[in-house]
Amino acid sequence: MSTEHDGETTKRTLGRGDFLKLGALTVGSGVLAACGAEGASEPEPAAQGSTEKAEERPPIESEPGDLNILEWAGYEYPTLGGKGGPLQPYVDQYGKPKYAFLTSDDQALGKVRAGVTPDIVHPCVSYVKDWVDLGYIQPWDTSLMPNFKDLNPSLVKNAQYEGQQYFVPLDWSFSAPMYRDDMVEPEGGEDTWAVMYDDRYSGKISWWDSPLENFLIWGYVQGFDPYDWDQWTDDVLGDATSYLIEKKKNVRNFWSSEPDMIADFKNGNIWIAYAWGNAFSQVKSSDVSVVYGDPKEGRLSWNCGLVLAKDTENYRHAHEYANAWASAEMAAWLIPNYAYGHTNTTVSTADIDPALVEAFKLDDPTALEEPKAHIERYAPDRRRFARAWEEVKAA
Amino acid sequence: MAVDARPVARSAPFLRGRRRSTATTAGLIGTPIVWLVVFFLVPVGIAALYSVGVFSFFPGEQRFTLTYWKDFVDGSVYLDVFWRSVKISLLTSVIAVLLAYPLAYYLALVAGSRKYVLLLILISPFFVSYFLRLFAMKVLLGDQGVVNSFAYWTGIRDPEHPIPQLIYSQFAVVTTLIVIYVPFVALPIFAALENLDRRLLEAASDLGASRWQAFRKVTLPLSLPGVLAAFVFVFIPTLGEYFTPLLVGGTSGHMFGNSIADAFLSSQDWQTGSMLSVFLLATVAILMAVFARFLSMQRLETE
Repeated sequence: MSTEHDGETTKRTLGRGDFLKLGALTVGSGVLAACGAEGASEPEPAAQGSTEKAEERPPIESEPGDLNILEWAGYEYPTLGGKGGPLQPYVDQYGKPKYAFLTSDDQALGKVRAGVTPDIVHPCVSYVKDWVDLGYIQPWDTSLMPNFKDLNPSLVKNAQYEGQQYFVPLDWSFSAPMYRDDMVEPEGGEDTWAVMYDDRYSGKISWWDSPLENFLIWGYVQGFDPYDWDQWTDDVLGDATSYLIEKKKNVRNFWSSEPDMIADFKNGNIWIAYAWGNAFSQVKSSDVSVVYGDPKEGRLSWNCGLVLAKDTENYRHAHEYANAWASAEMAAWLIPNYAYGHTNTTVSTADIDPALVEAFKLDDPTALEEPKAHIERYAPDRRRFARAWEEVKAA
Repeated sequence: MAVDARPVARSAPFLRGRRRSTATTAGLIGTPIVWLVVFFLVPVGIAALYSVGVFSFFPGEQRFTLTYWKDFVDGSVYLDVFWRSVKISLLTSVIAVLLAYPLAYYLALVAGSRKYVLLLILISPFFVSYFLRLFAMKVLLGDQGVVNSFAYWTGIRDPEHPIPQLIYSQFAVVTTLIVIYVPFVALPIFAALENLDRRLLEAASDLGASRWQAFRKVTLPLSLPGVLAAFVFVFIPTLGEYFTPLLVGGTSGHMFGNSIADAFLSSQDWQTGSMLSVFLLATVAILMAVFARFLSMQRLETE
């Protein structure tokens, strides 16, 4: 049951995972450029390259060149590779890749486990270990990607696993509480994730229907680092579950479709929601008075990128493709078109709307660093959280 | 066609005809049977094996375990969701049948020559996709929807305080399911009433029964198989309902179908997902058997 498409048939219904991707306006190259500039002064330890030397690989001409990519809808041909698209140079030179689609990281893993064999997959950084454990991927040879040196060093380092660069970090964005500032006054006058539980706004709050994030948020509000998995004893998870069940009475719905949530927000059905930047930019463009929160506990953020199949016959093509994705042209296209952040630090942010610069703190070089923001990390026992979340939903 | 009682007298062409018809029958029946086996029985079998840990599409340890079933039976969260689903489905089915009955009655016994036109109007929602009907309900029930807007316009409610529970609630789930299923439910009741022998009603009237008595003693009992079929038509599909609670259920309308989807999609817990699916299927199968038996007893009684 392959979902492979020739790149020309592209549009599909968006699933929750797509919204993760298509969500999140974070015109972040400003921040990242700043981070990059700062990070560049302290060179990061270089990750080890592929176990097999690039020179030992056959030349690109002798590869089949039919790249198969497991990709999020919206990142395929012709959207990116068509005329005027940022990947057009790659397509012109090497031909159209074939795309199959993923709707979530879990689903992508499931598909590959079930026998789909893409050369490249586009997961998010918290799943790199899963891909390595699956035995499906190999490290990239960063020397084959001239644009790699322009990527944000801290995100590059964050993407390394066991000293290897299995993952080329590319697109990213924030997650934060979004609220109507004409209706909502956060407790104590300071932005906080606790606004997601506020009894005063009962019936006007919307949580994301996600097995993990709601527990992470609870952890932040409790004042501990929720990515420190040792903290999540059965008792702690039990407390979190009870608390969420108690506060569920304030929640109007658990949103799973971003457009639905945006519509609810614009219509005034909800005043407070877990949101990605894209939702903020859309709501803001209507006449609703809205704020993209900067909680004192820190924003959440995600970062996705490319991994390379161990058995690919298109080793050099895959590197060319990843290099094209890592280019400044790609970043310059991604920011205005999908309103995502991109890890390439060489893009000018001069033309960005000042309101967005403020909302996403593009003038703050430390905006992506802890404790202001927390980049997604591997979760060793997602099933446990999923079970607890099911309990919250069922209660 | 006269068939000779003596077997020896059967002619060769007759036998060939028999063979051909047997082959045709086998072909006609065989295709759906193969279809059912491949696309229903085999997947159900796989799910059943999955639920006890002896099969997996993915590499890893496979050994027989009843843990998933035990957890479920020992008062897990899923059991609560199941009972909630039963409650919602039961409520939906009963109300849908109660609403559909007068409709079917009118069409079958009162509408006369217009009944087929009216029937076409009744089933016209089927010309619109299920999803569109669901979204239409969101438009009706939302805070800025038709119902609330009317309430604001008449001053019954002010826009800051829309009617509570109208959307994102169990009420919204039940209402939406009823709206979607009423036309569907009306059909079997209509069929039962349509086949009613009118002379029985005349006889009842001749024997001095009032219209109400005739309805209670004749029409209702004779239409009960249709009513029961209608009930089953709603109860069984709504028990595993997924999209309606997802779109209008909010935080309290989560149903069993949503739990199954979550197990497969969010938590990648295929064992639990399979166990829940097999449980739902078994429940439905048992209910079907009970209803079928009840229906056949009803038929025997009425005959």
